[in-house]
Amino acid sequence: MKSYLLASLTVLLACCFVGTTFAADSGSGEKEMLVFPEAYKPMKVNNGGTISGVVKFEGDVPEKKALEITKDKQVCGADEKFDESLVVGEGNALKNTIVYLIDISAGKELDKKAKTEIDQKGCKFTPHVQIVPVGARLTMLNSDKIMHNVHIFGNNPVNKPQPKTRRKMALKAVKEAEGPVSVKCDIHGWMSAWIAYVPHPYFAVTNEKGEFTLEDVPAGEYKLGYWHEACGTNSKTPVTVTVEAGGTVTQDFTLKLK
Amino acid sequence: MRIRTVALLFTLFGMLAALSLIYAQNAPEASEKGKQVYENSCAHCHGIEGRGDGSAAENLLPKPRDFTRGLYKIRSTETGQLPTDQDLFDIITEGMPGSSMPPWETALSANDRWEVVAYIKTFYDGFKEAETPPKQINLSGKVSYSEQSVETGKALYIELGCVECHGDVGRGDGTSAPDLTDEWGFQSWPANLTQSWNFRGGSDTEDIFKRFIGGLAGSAMPAFEGDSFPGFGLTAEESSRMIELDNKDEMTEAEEDESAQLYEKYDAAVDIALNLAEGTELSADEQKIYDDAMRVVYEKSWHLANYVKSLSPEKRPESAIGNNVLRSQYVGGELPPMDDAAWEILEASYFPLVGQVVIEPRQFNPTIDAVNVKSFYNDTEVAFLFTWDDRTHTTDETDEETGKTLEDALAVQFPVKVPQGPTAPKPYFLWGGRLPVYLWHWKASAPEQVTELTAKGINNAEVQEAQGALKSQGTYTDGQYKLWVKRALKTDDKKDLQLESGVFVPIAFSAWDGANGDVDTKRVMTSWYTFVLEPVPSSKRFIYPPLIALLSVGFLFGLRAFVLRRNSEETNN
Ligand SMILES: [Cu+2]
Repeated sequence: MKSYLLASLTVLLACCFVGTTFAADSGSGEKEMLVFPEAYKPMKVNNGGTISGVVKFEGDVPEKKALEITKDKQVCGADEKFDESLVVGEGNALKNTIVYLIDISAGKELDKKAKTEIDQKGCKFTPHVQIVPVGARLTMLNSDKIMHNVHIFGNNPVNKPQPKTRRKMALKAVKEAEGPVSVKCDIHGWMSAWIAYVPHPYFAVTNEKGEFTLEDVPAGEYKLGYWHEACGTNSKTPVTVTVEAGGTVTQDFTLKLK
Repeated sequence: MRIRTVALLFTLFGMLAALSLIYAQNAPEASEKGKQVYENSCAHCHGIEGRGDGSAAENLLPKPRDFTRGLYKIRSTETGQLPTDQDLFDIITEGMPGSSMPPWETALSANDRWEVVAYIKTFYDGFKEAETPPKQINLSGKVSYSEQSVETGKALYIELGCVECHGDVGRGDGTSAPDLTDEWGFQSWPANLTQSWNFRGGSDTEDIFKRFIGGLAGSAMPAFEGDSFPGFGLTAEESSRMIELDNKDEMTEAEEDESAQLYEKYDAAVDIALNLAEGTELSADEQKIYDDAMRVVYEKSWHLANYVKSLSPEKRPESAIGNNVLRSQYVGGELPPMDDAAWEILEASYFPLVGQVVIEPRQFNPTIDAVNVKSFYNDTEVAFLFTWDDRTHTTDETDEETGKTLEDALAVQFPVKVPQGPTAPKPYFLWGGRLPVYLWHWKASAPEQVTELTAKGINNAEVQEAQGALKSQGTYTDGQYKLWVKRALKTDDKKDLQLESGVFVPIAFSAWDGANGDVDTKRVMTSWYTFVLEPVPSSKRFIYPPLIALLSVGFLFGLRAFVLRRNSEETNN
């Protein structure tokens, strides 16, 4: 009983001292999210066009940050691991950028049977950014002979232990578009990845060379968006591209730290 | 006649109970009344729009629940399910121990609490859209508490990875503990399983079972649904065999086949569970496989719940007042050193700590529950043994905001002069004022050293010029600090407290958990308690010393026996 009184007292006191302490950033700071069309209609795309390009990083490239491996060192610490929130390759190529069509309302069908996987190997998620079609199952692989705890944030949270005996763990299909949402392992705090649950197939993630390709795009004018963990989005100022039937449009991006 | 009245009363009572049960399942329609009660009593912390962002929220951790996402930690329902109305009502009624959520049982009428339940449900559309009632966790197969069950649970505690966050002996000090965050990115400390009175959703075995199966939605604590168990779909024997085979460096061909078969059965059951979770109708065969698998899982979970239950005392210890005042016990010879078995014969006095909220910076979210204290004295010296739980061992972390060094520490506070009589004024409990206090200050970075201070206020402490009167030793093991301090009863220093047998002396504590941002006035503390060097009638003066001698010898014999047994076990294996 006494502790309850104390708790109540603490609440009361907390109320009295509102604003006297530092401001926490609870809920403030808009999240950088993808933008999805209100509706999407699958149709047969004949003689569609292609949008491709290269995403580059502009500015001083920060030094690679080695991750501190604090436990399960035999499995997790076999090789050095680096923070992947900003991976800049040769010629400033920017890996792990999502490039996508913001306002497409009809196009090729979303492949709900698509095999989407994230591997947990050496206590690292691969890939770092994964696109998951709405309605498809994401499979978490466990290539380590230790336990991981798959913790996916957002409106469709997953917080599920994956024992060392579970080499594959398919997750319940998510039914609404959302993202990117963060993926963590609670056991190995440094493990980090991102998932985007998408309602149409026009999403790509840049490779080590910063390249992306969107294929079978019906001819027309589209807003082209990007998202990058450390560089943010262009949701408010997307680029407009015009796709011609059977043609190829090139659109490069240069991103800075947000 | 009489019997009939009693029977009638029973029937009436039964009907009433049944009625109240029916009523209890569901909250009324949301109303203006509920809004009003909510805004008066709940919105300060949970916010007008239920986002957990009320004006007081920024000071609190755990953060007030954000009602707009439908994520509730304390539920009687399975993972991914909404809570029942009754769950929400119970939380409001009983509060959440160890957090800032107080019980509203006396402050709000039951009616008002039901109105609030109805109102907070309006913050999340999922409640309205739900077509079926949330699926409740089945509690029917309860395994009763036994040593055997606790043993089985202990093995599962390791196998299922509980140990990673909750630590080897359950003090919430696992190697992954410091990195955990909740759904909103705030620090999420794992429960200290040895302090069941701080469990957010209650400490009954059923409560523990529900938290384990259903998880604490929004926190870092996952739900251990069926397929999270290694070998789901296998019998207990089969799953142990599967793991045994996994651990072999090399398998024979027959063993490989056996392993593959077990894995096939395991994978099949996992598939069924996933189909069910996605709403696929199961065939009768599949349903049977699933039900059998879940029976094994539930039985294991009850063993685990029994084990967790066994880690805490029956109830929270009584504070060190009244009959529980700290009484230092007399011994004739040398005072026992830190690891001496003699300490085991004493019952510890329990000093609950609370956040310091008077002077800025304040601590609204304490992480240290209490200090436990034992003491012995002889004709010239006194020794204390202080123990307290802290999930992390922090010696030199830098506070990102202030740049100050954060580290774990303890301070023991006495008046410089013992007040003469119970009504005489004591120094101000926050490290003195006009009347000074005498302090022992210990820091985790220098565990063999206790500094003597004199203070005339919480921000007005001085290191004494004359040091060295104290001997001390400090350790940190399994989420617990132990500090042993010895001092002469009398010293030459006028700034020191002088001790005498039979005199009641005020004592108070401050503690800092560096990992929780504790530094300077931001700390946990107690107000004044008392302790006494228990005077011993001359006839009894000789009880403790021989007892201690005996115990020490007994302890050594015990240890020897233990080591011998271990050795023989090892050779047998
Ligand atoms: Cu992991």
